[in-house]
Amino acid sequence: MGVTCVCQLPLAEGKSVQQTIDILHKKLEQLGAVKQGSFTVDCETYHATGNASGQPTKLLYVMHNSETPLSCLALFEGGPCLTADGNFDVLMIKLKSHFQNAKGHKVESRGSRYRYCDFLIKVGAVTMSSSARGISVEVEYCPCVVPGDCWNLMKEFMQSFLGPSIPELPSVFSSKPEGLYAPVDCVDTMTQYLELFGRVRKQQVLPGTTR
Amino acid sequence: MEAPPVSVMPVTGGTINMMEYLLQGSVLDQALESLLHRLRGLCDNMEPEIFADHELVYLLKGQQGNPFLLRARRSLSHPAAPWHLRYLGQPEVGDKSRHALVRNCVDVAASHSLPDFLNEMGFRMDHEFVAKGHIFRRGALKVVVSKLSRVLVPGNTENTEPLSLSSLVELSVLAPAGQDTVSEDMRSFAEQLKPLVHLEKIDPKRHM
Repeated sequence: MGVTCVCQLPLAEGKSVQQTIDILHKKLEQLGAVKQGSFTVDCETYHATGNASGQPTKLLYVMHNSETPLSCLALFEGGPCLTADGNFDVLMIKLKSHFQNAKGHKVESRGSRYRYCDFLIKVGAVTMSSSARGISVEVEYCPCVVPGDCWNLMKEFMQSFLGPSIPELPSVFSSKPEGLYAPVDCVDTMTQYLELFGRVRKQQVLPGTTR
Repeated sequence: MEAPPVSVMPVTGGTINMMEYLLQGSVLDQALESLLHRLRGLCDNMEPEIFADHELVYLLKGQQGNPFLLRARRSLSHPAAPWHLRYLGQPEVGDKSRHALVRNCVDVAASHSLPDFLNEMGFRMDHEFVAKGHIFRRGALKVVVSKLSRVLVPGNTENTEPLSLSSLVELSVLAPAGQDTVSEDMRSFAEQLKPLVHLEKIDPKRHM
């Protein structure tokens, strides 16, 4: 578990989601990265039922990451979050009369996992209701847990294969009370995915990319 | 750095429903030592495990029906250990000849943000208590002998007073649904604890 940066990759000019992903994979392989399995990150949305009328319904997100297969993360946007084991999903089933699963809102990113020395790069096709909506790129620098110590190195590395589309410093790091020198944890990675999935949900379905 | 296995099927599909089989009884404090002595002889551990836990019971009031109850428990002797969240379903009715109380059970290990998270979900703490005692094991059977104490000031686990002059004794097994031999094994074990303690199937609804 190291410092992670999750960003959205815009589609290459005139190319589909899969074609853009293939171009990126080729760049990574030319760089010397080795494919090491696959990954999946998903996010399910639950609506709290039984709220007093007039109050906005609270949305509860339950996320899973194949990097931590026995855990799941439950969070309220901008609110408290909970790391729990896999049985939390079973508990949400028991709570179905209080929290409804908005099945059409499930967003998932699936793809290949590449390793280049101390970096892990995961390029995923982001899908919602089986239609491809975009591309997520996650870069993790494994030896370090403090963003302030390795952000410049990560930016330089991302430039070598993402070119001009490198992201800004993720806001999850700069918004912490201790700033960039607070150690990261898996909640920071998942919060970044949640923000990306939120943007993707709001976007229009990309023309010509339904699989 | 090896990739963890990626399952294609969702984990929630076809989860085994775990059931808790339970027998309960109590023993006066004066007789506690004799019971512990007998349990030491009958059970697996060389020395029983001692525990000190703080349990908070949360309720979620819905639009209709009974409130949803969750139990959140943390260890006072291992403060860094995760919280244990437990859901217990309604006792299974039907087979009166079944010797133990059977109910669906879901156990979740959770991080320390659990109380804040439950409040955000809409749960409100109904009551809390401190339980201290011993845990014994015999195969899949678990025997917990606990002294329950009332928390006088909410959140303050130092200031407690015992609920009664007895200790609660619980014999339980966690098994997948459909294993009926479990309650037989429990009954025969319970026989060996008589007359120090009488463990029986206690229907929680009759005592509400």
